[in-house]
Amino acid sequence: MSLILAVLLAPPLGASSLAILVRPYQRFVGWVSTIGVALSLAASIALCTTVMGAGPQQEAVPATALWRVDALSALLALCVTFVALVAMLLGRRAGHPDREELARTRYFWIFTNAFVFTMLIAVTIQNVALMWVAIEATTITSAMVIPLTRTKASVEASWKYLLICSVGIALAFAGTVLAYFDFVATAGEVPGALNWTVLRGAAPSLHPALLQLAFAFLLIGYGTKAGLAPMHTWLPDAHAEAPSLVSALMSGVLLAVAMYAIGRWKAVVDAAVDSSFTNRLLMGFGVVSVVIGTFSLVIQRHYKRMLAYSSVEHMGLVSIGLALGPLGAFAALLHTMNHAVAKSLSFLAAGRILHRYDTTEIGKVTGLLRVMPWTGALFAIGILALVGLPPFGLFVSEFLLVRAAVVTGRFWVAGLVLVLLLTAFTSLVHHLNRMLYGEPPPAVTIGERRGWSVTVLAVSVGVLIVLGVTLPRPVAALITQSVRGVIP
Amino acid sequence: MSRYAVLVVQPLVALGLAPGLVGFVRWLKARLQSRRGAPPWQPYFEIRKLFGKEAVVSHTASWIFRATPFVVFGTSVVVASLVPLILVPASPLVAGDVFAAVYLLLLGTFFLALAGLDTGSPFGGMGASREMTVVALTEPTVALSIVALALSAGSTNFSQIVARTIAEPAAALGPGHLLAFIALFVVTLAETGRLPVDNPSTHLELTMIHEAMVLEYSGPYLALIEWGSALKLLVFLALAANLFIPWGLAFALAPGALAIGLASAIVKLGALAATIAVLETRVAKLRLFRVPELLSASFVLALLAVMSTFLVR
Amino acid sequence: MGGAFSQLVMLGSSGMLVTALIVLWRKGVPAYITAYRWQSWLLAALTATVGYYGDGQLYWVAGLLLGLKGVAIPALLRTMQRRFGTEREAAPYVNTEVSLLIASVLVVFAYLLGRPWMAVTQLPTRQGLPLAMSVLFVSLFIIVSRKKAITQVIGFLMLENAIALLAVVGTFGVPFLVEFGVFLDALMGFLVMQIFIYHIHDTFDTLDVDALARLRH
Repeated sequence: MSLILAVLLAPPLGASSLAILVRPYQRFVGWVSTIGVALSLAASIALCTTVMGAGPQQEAVPATALWRVDALSALLALCVTFVALVAMLLGRRAGHPDREELARTRYFWIFTNAFVFTMLIAVTIQNVALMWVAIEATTITSAMVIPLTRTKASVEASWKYLLICSVGIALAFAGTVLAYFDFVATAGEVPGALNWTVLRGAAPSLHPALLQLAFAFLLIGYGTKAGLAPMHTWLPDAHAEAPSLVSALMSGVLLAVAMYAIGRWKAVVDAAVDSSFTNRLLMGFGVVSVVIGTFSLVIQRHYKRMLAYSSVEHMGLVSIGLALGPLGAFAALLHTMNHAVAKSLSFLAAGRILHRYDTTEIGKVTGLLRVMPWTGALFAIGILALVGLPPFGLFVSEFLLVRAAVVTGRFWVAGLVLVLLLTAFTSLVHHLNRMLYGEPPPAVTIGERRGWSVTVLAVSVGVLIVLGVTLPRPVAALITQSVRGVIP
Repeated sequence: MSRYAVLVVQPLVALGLAPGLVGFVRWLKARLQSRRGAPPWQPYFEIRKLFGKEAVVSHTASWIFRATPFVVFGTSVVVASLVPLILVPASPLVAGDVFAAVYLLLLGTFFLALAGLDTGSPFGGMGASREMTVVALTEPTVALSIVALALSAGSTNFSQIVARTIAEPAAALGPGHLLAFIALFVVTLAETGRLPVDNPSTHLELTMIHEAMVLEYSGPYLALIEWGSALKLLVFLALAANLFIPWGLAFALAPGALAIGLASAIVKLGALAATIAVLETRVAKLRLFRVPELLSASFVLALLAVMSTFLVR
Repeated sequence: MGGAFSQLVMLGSSGMLVTALIVLWRKGVPAYITAYRWQSWLLAALTATVGYYGDGQLYWVAGLLLGLKGVAIPALLRTMQRRFGTEREAAPYVNTEVSLLIASVLVVFAYLLGRPWMAVTQLPTRQGLPLAMSVLFVSLFIIVSRKKAITQVIGFLMLENAIALLAVVGTFGVPFLVEFGVFLDALMGFLVMQIFIYHIHDTFDTLDVDALARLRH
């Protein structure tokens, strides 16, 4: 394993182990985690630059039996580490309405670091079954953090999350076994048979019917994890009840990692079957997700659930993008990146709001701009970004998505997406207005210092603006190369 | 000519063995419960006693009430000549068909239920409705478990099925075979009114199913019905034993083969009767609303048996 | 590898399906735990049989299966069940008869799905494939239709068994590293679920999933 890869993966694992071994001094552990994730971020940036310099070979570091980092992996590793760093820099206060307890803090650091570690493994490993193991591990580690405050709602949410996602993941494993079975039946048992490059290479000689069945299982399985409707039922509860730091990680990048898994398998199946099959399935699930996500936004009464349903909608858009050929895949990957930043920003701001107002209901949060001017502004920016307003990055990616739909002749998809985006825009802005203006509730302290957290969130905003106004050349090149990971 | 002679003798042998079978089950149960129990040939004395008594028939009963004992007895006798008890019916007549056997027995049950309703007694009606519930649930299972065998043999003719199983002993280990056997065994318990579906020795009317339907019968009618029911038990057990474990059945008319056939039939029937006795001692009667659960489970087993044989060919 | 091997594999797989059906049939949690234990033992025996006729590495897998799923997890389940002893699946969302009928429909569906595979391969174990899919679907149905959290966990464990059976029967086992990873996941998943059952009981005072219905739109 090369050094860069080790620097990418080791810090979160180390921080998690440290948190397990050390009982007191959790603030120290917190700082170690943050510095560790910063190191991982640096390593992922290094990987991105290397992979772009590697040219058509597409590998950032020499591939070993287990690990292989190409442009798509590097892109996702970058997203994961960035969101993780932002979340950890905000410290735990964003997540806890209560007074700090040492045991819960320790729990938090152990499992959040493990969570980041498993996500990084999932995107860099090339054995599809071990990728599955890593994604299942993300379910387990994130499920441990959700009921950090042992309330009825959080226990219920985490139980649903654990059960539904484990079932979905089990189905995904069934799909993996089916594809492997097909491979073994045609090519015999080869070492490294489960590496997705080998599978993709052997795909033209595999049986189409079997691969189609396998892909159906895989899409339903990983789609459950990605929050595609109708398997999304765990998502609003889990993302709303989790501590905001964890919600930011889950909503921002975990869903993207699940879509990454789907994208890798799409590449394998497309090499065997005409891509219209996978495209139709992805399009179907995507459209249903966008519809359900948007309409659930209209009647929302809790702002964190609102953000969660927005994730369902955006993952639906990513799914539609993956189904629209190379142009659509470019839009989808750009959208993943933008969504990661915007969603984490929104959730982290929402966490600060929760900490101050002590309620999750939209109706009870009023006068945000007066009570917390900085956070209110940041939250507003996050929501406006999520609805696709310029100058933020999501505008560009959604525009590219609609353009891809029009170019490939799917006008009805373009029209539907536009209508639904408009609906989402209306609902979200309406809810936002209710929160920003008006009289603050009497029990809430007014005023806010511009602290460290605000600065970090402002950096996120800056990233969004940069991605929206000018898509920097290196980023565009990285995404273009990543598209080849999905559409060969 | 002699083949037809045996086809007449086989039901006579069955008639002779049937009360002994019931008596054996009762005697074994008693022994298991640390009682002495009546000797295994007690039912013979009971039947003889009943034939000597007077039949008391209600004024409101119609011809169905009087006809039913003959229908029950007659169908049981006919079916006893169809199923492979000692000899495998060798000619491919319609008479050798599985469905004929099953539905003749069902005809007897149907008439019995009607007779239960016929007298206007509330217990009769209650027993008839319960019996119909049970039978409605066992019918598909019986059909399916025999179809499972018939599919692998390619015919619903008894001789073909038996020949196929003897020709391929490995198939007897197959899950299709075993599941169908278990399903058929559960159905036997249900159709012949044994525990855990119905308690044959109960005297509490509200717990009766089969006994409630025959509550009004007396004298020779009761004798015929008792004998017919015993014969039904023997026929079901013979089906279960000889379709799934057919070794020992006679294919030819040689006296040696027939003797071996008789001996093996007695051994297999005795084993199954012992299983029933042990089972009846171990389990309690199911409450009526839980009987469908048991029968659905046996239905699923029979369906699995059909699946295993059908889609694996 | 002859007809006896195929028959044994089919027998074992059918046995696993029957144990899954027992969960739909019976109402008491101890019966479920016993059914799961039987299923895991059958799975281990099947893996060892396939290992005998095929790859010897599968013996290790069979041993792991036996230790983990055949002994350790049922013991943990029994401890849990003794702690919450009064839980009985008295009124599931779908009653027993209908559950069993739906299970038979699922078995037929699994067989229909499995036809293309059986046509593709010449493996002697191919008849176990549709049976493995049936166990998978029946386990999914158990999770969906039962009310007690502990029954849902048992359904999930049976789902994992079904996938392990699929791997053994369809591919003669996946590479050992993968099996090990999958075991670890299964174990961790189960432990976490166990922790959650204690959470649920502490917070709600019942294991009835009906009570977990506060979160709505």
